[in-house]
Amino acid sequence: MDIYWHWLVVIYLFLGGLGAGAYLTSFAAEMGWLGENSSLRRVGYYIGGPIVGIGTLLLVFDLGQGFYKPWLLWRLVTNLNSVMTWGTIILAVFIAVGMLKGFLTFINRPVPSVVTWSGVVLAIATAGYTGFLISVIGAIPFWDSAIIPVIFFISALSTGLSITVLLSSIIEKASSENKGREDLTHIILIAAELVAVVAFVGIMASGVNGLVAQKSAILLINGKYALYFWGIFIGLGLIFPLAVYAVQYLRHRATEATVAVGGNADGQMEGPRQKQSLLTMITDFSVLMGGFALRALVIFAALPIWDGIKIG
Amino acid sequence: MDKSNQLNKISRRSLLKMGALAAGALAVGVLPGQIAGADPDSPKYPEQLGFMYDQTKCIGCRKCAIACKSANKWEEGAKWRRVMSGARPDVYLSMSCNHCENPVCVAVCPVKAYKKRDKDGIVIHDKEVCVGCKYCLYACPYHAPQYSEATGRITKCHFCYERQAKGQKPACIEACPTQALTFGKLVDLQKTPGGVAQIQWLPAPELTKPSLVIIPKQ
Repeated sequence: MDIYWHWLVVIYLFLGGLGAGAYLTSFAAEMGWLGENSSLRRVGYYIGGPIVGIGTLLLVFDLGQGFYKPWLLWRLVTNLNSVMTWGTIILAVFIAVGMLKGFLTFINRPVPSVVTWSGVVLAIATAGYTGFLISVIGAIPFWDSAIIPVIFFISALSTGLSITVLLSSIIEKASSENKGREDLTHIILIAAELVAVVAFVGIMASGVNGLVAQKSAILLINGKYALYFWGIFIGLGLIFPLAVYAVQYLRHRATEATVAVGGNADGQMEGPRQKQSLLTMITDFSVLMGGFALRALVIFAALPIWDGIKIG
Repeated sequence: MDKSNQLNKISRRSLLKMGALAAGALAVGVLPGQIAGADPDSPKYPEQLGFMYDQTKCIGCRKCAIACKSANKWEEGAKWRRVMSGARPDVYLSMSCNHCENPVCVAVCPVKAYKKRDKDGIVIHDKEVCVGCKYCLYACPYHAPQYSEATGRITKCHFCYERQAKGQKPACIEACPTQALTFGKLVDLQKTPGGVAQIQWLPAPELTKPSLVIIPKQ
């Protein structure tokens, strides 16, 4: 079996979800869902459009005609039956709207709510599209599942939250006062992704999607991609962050309780807080690696329903 | 030949998947249009041309593939017709594009490079507008679309439609010394005794409804 889509497509699918997730993170922060005065309410808007834009640019390089006949690319919007056409339209408009929202936020101008909200709809569509694109391919049994868009969507939110937290901690002057809320959001997203992944891999490994899908699943569980699947995706991408966020969340609640009782002075907290933020950065980076590994594994484990060689 | 059932099944499945997405709005605009026009009783392409391959007659000489290559000037790395060998001795399969009744290549191609002709159901790919996204390489269960790294685009079997317009046979069929490979109207080919749509390991024909009849070697 030849693999037709390589790293550029993997990066594109990852960045598509990442940018959309970053936008949605800042939106959630702006709405107050991530706590009051969240430090995340700008950076996701700055990076959402550009990240998806970079991903799309990389995809153009992957097209056979990206350099030879780039004028053909306008045709990408012509077949309204093709999921890829939907994606082209969704991504193009999201990049434009996302960048407008980011720019207006950057220069501190009021943003018309129609811009913000159409950005939200487009971001949701972008995140879902990256999974839906491959889930409609019946000739690849491993992709032929409605769970794939769900996993990709949750991973988009999770990685988007992580990149926004990571960059906000560098860019924003005021540090986050809502660690507890952010950790809880991380926990919910990663737990949901873990459940969806277990369901997906379980279904594929069970053989109900056919022997070829089972073979793909075995490539991940016990085959040539097992190290990446268990080590990077499940271990570093899901379990490790889940544990760190859970511990941080519980500690945070304990600290809050102590402070409420009237205990600690600020100075005493400086040491542990700094250590914690380095750990948070490492963990957020770990989430990004897991999200990237997810796209790579799903694309590279694709096996065709018939290999084009074997006959009875 | 129940076209509408197939379409309904696919649309329902697609719509279910869309349920997970906000992009659902788009699907509602696109899919019902296809279902509305389908008539459950008549085949959508009554004049559909198809290939017939008789495993009992094939000697594995590969002249079909060689003739195709020279007639259609394959781009580097692109194999429009392939002759596969089975596990048993002297069992072969010669296959090109099956010009399916339900061609997924036509559906997935974002630039409309593929067209299925109404008059004979031939699926023709226009290499001049192909952008080389390779989506069809994943979508086609028969590996008919062929990508050339040298040219960065897809090409594939077009049933020698230009030769046929001049009254000639497709190159592969003309070259076959044993008449193992023939062609004709699919509805006629399907009446051949012993003819089947699928042999072991091939994808289920329900997936795309290929215009191919195989007479298997027992």
